[in-house]
Amino acid sequence: MLGLIHTLNIFLLFAYLITTFAYLSDFIKRTDLLNNAKRVFLFITIGIHLFYLLARTIEFDHLPIINKFEIFTLLAFAIAFSYFILELLSDVRGTGVFILIISLIFQTFSTIFIEDLVIVPEVLKNRLLGLHVISALLGYSAFAMSAVYGLLFIMLYKQLKLNRFGLIFSRLPSLESLEKLSYYSVIIGFVLLTFAMAIGVIWLPEAFPNASLLDPKLVSTSIVWLIFGVGILAKAVGNWYGKRVIMFYLTGFVVAMLSMLFTNMMAKSFHVFY
Amino acid sequence: MNIVGISINHRTAPIGVREELHLSPAEITELVAVLKEKLLSGGFILSTCNRTEVFGIQKDGKVDFNRLLNELLQFKHVENLSAKNFEKFFSCSAVKHIFKVTSGVDSLVVGDSQILGQAKEAFQLAEDLQFTDSVIKRVFDVAIKVGKRSIKETLIGEGAVTVSFAAVQVVEKIFADPSTKSALVIGTGETGKLAATHLKELGVVDLTITNRTIARAEQAAKFLNCNVVPFQNYKDELHQYDIIFSATSSEGYVLTKDEVQRAMKLRKGNPICLMDIALPRDIDPGAQKIDNVFYNDIDSLSVIVDQNMKKRKEEIPNVDKIIVEEMINFYSWYNTLDVVPTIKSMREFFEIIGTDELEKIKNKINDEDFEKVEDMIRRLLGRIMHNPTMALREVAEKGTNTDEVAKHSLMVKKLFNLNGFSPSKENAENKNSNTIKS
Repeated sequence: MLGLIHTLNIFLLFAYLITTFAYLSDFIKRTDLLNNAKRVFLFITIGIHLFYLLARTIEFDHLPIINKFEIFTLLAFAIAFSYFILELLSDVRGTGVFILIISLIFQTFSTIFIEDLVIVPEVLKNRLLGLHVISALLGYSAFAMSAVYGLLFIMLYKQLKLNRFGLIFSRLPSLESLEKLSYYSVIIGFVLLTFAMAIGVIWLPEAFPNASLLDPKLVSTSIVWLIFGVGILAKAVGNWYGKRVIMFYLTGFVVAMLSMLFTNMMAKSFHVFY
Repeated sequence: MNIVGISINHRTAPIGVREELHLSPAEITELVAVLKEKLLSGGFILSTCNRTEVFGIQKDGKVDFNRLLNELLQFKHVENLSAKNFEKFFSCSAVKHIFKVTSGVDSLVVGDSQILGQAKEAFQLAEDLQFTDSVIKRVFDVAIKVGKRSIKETLIGEGAVTVSFAAVQVVEKIFADPSTKSALVIGTGETGKLAATHLKELGVVDLTITNRTIARAEQAAKFLNCNVVPFQNYKDELHQYDIIFSATSSEGYVLTKDEVQRAMKLRKGNPICLMDIALPRDIDPGAQKIDNVFYNDIDSLSVIVDQNMKKRKEEIPNVDKIIVEEMINFYSWYNTLDVVPTIKSMREFFEIIGTDELEKIKNKINDEDFEKVEDMIRRLLGRIMHNPTMALREVAEKGTNTDEVAKHSLMVKKLFNLNGFSPSKENAENKNSNTIKS
């Protein structure tokens, strides 16, 4: 089993490389063959990745959330899987390369640095924590996807305003589609983050009886949650459209990333496990 | 193959001259009758705004472009044209030209898909007028196939190549589903009507047009099945439209930046697409600076047209490959026609021998045994003839060396003494005893 896990770890990197390259090639020079083949590659890659994660969970008797590089491979999977579902639902196939490149980067680091972990800290053995981490990761993956769609929106918006009709113009879907994809990703991310926060609140007194509700991690996550919540309301109720709402989501994502960096590296929080 | 053809087209004559030789379906019907009587055994006439072409196989087997040309000029009573205004094609070059026409690479606008439909109509008319034979029909079929393959397998027909269609392409990059948007077309000249037609084709249901002369707007609206707004009122409801095309001949702006700004306020920032396809321009280009206003004029849209034209031209080698492939297929089929009489003679020769031999034993055995022997002989002859038949076809289908085909045909004829063998005569003699069916 261990040998299989090691082989899959290396094979996954190549699978992501091939899939991302297929999406890139199709973006540059669209062909019917690549247009269909790239989706098959992605499906196979996700399938192998899922099998790899299950194999790790069974072999090491814990969910792959114990160190950074396990988290990275889980993030790579979450992003690729979320994109696959979104592509199936929307049938917008031209943006995959911009999303899958993130999965490829995470998987590359994971493949190189991941270790076989058998000893797990007591605090990380809780099942609720597993749910909390996985839903938070999926949520942040969705925010990342929303940010990518937001950036693509801004790129296409500028091209259209400047009357430049290059590769971005010919390959990307319409502005309205990009905005919708960004919006849906934010909604999914918001729901998952809400779920993760709810589990955290339930689990917190049990795991850390003395933890403060003013902990930097909790405060910064609440701010991120609030920003995206307002963004969703602005679109749904305030009828915000286009650049304004996209800029709001992008700001939310930047705040989320900065808060993660700040709380993990600078602030003193109970929420640092690695 | 003695197929000959003449073509007056955008390369050989200006539009005024081409117009003089344009043939309506009724005129084509009339001219075909003349050509059938005097000159051609089969063929077709294709006449569009960019070309008039007459192709066919001469009855006397000769190749005389001038007779074909004179018949056309006499029919149209045109005198000031010379042979220089025509391209002439014969045999292979004629077939290749027909394939090039249906593929769209010979069109004024490279990759024009309309020509395939026009060619289909021309071929259909020729068939309806019984102006075809098996060779011409085959040319039609392959020409249509070339046209379809070119569209399907290459990018020759991709991208907008007119300004108004390019504008529609930009609209599609802004709105995910333009059919749910409302559009206004200002001006009902040719360009305005074309833009409105493109929007309709895009699926825009809520389409409104306006024009200084209300009667013209109403006339166009009736044709396009859309709404009309009086010219003096359209600015009041500007904010209601997501897409605005302007194509008037006005000297000043029909929409100023301030008017667009006002509309955007009422739209609460929802995007608007302004397509100025007029010259001089109708919409103040300053409107482009307003957030969520997407403005394009003829110059910027021409960039798309030029890019797409370049891409289409880059696809010509791929279409040429299809043409060569289909020409090889066509000539493989055509060359088998030369060996068909030999194969037919050989088969009938063997059938007669079989029939003769059966006749000899007919009264010597009972009916049941006769049927068995008859069956056996039929199978025997089938197996004997299979290999030589296939070998002859293969040689013919290679189609590279007609001498080789002739040599093989002669060899078979010599081996079985088929020279001077007349199947029909022999058959007539054996009519009563012809019991074997090939």
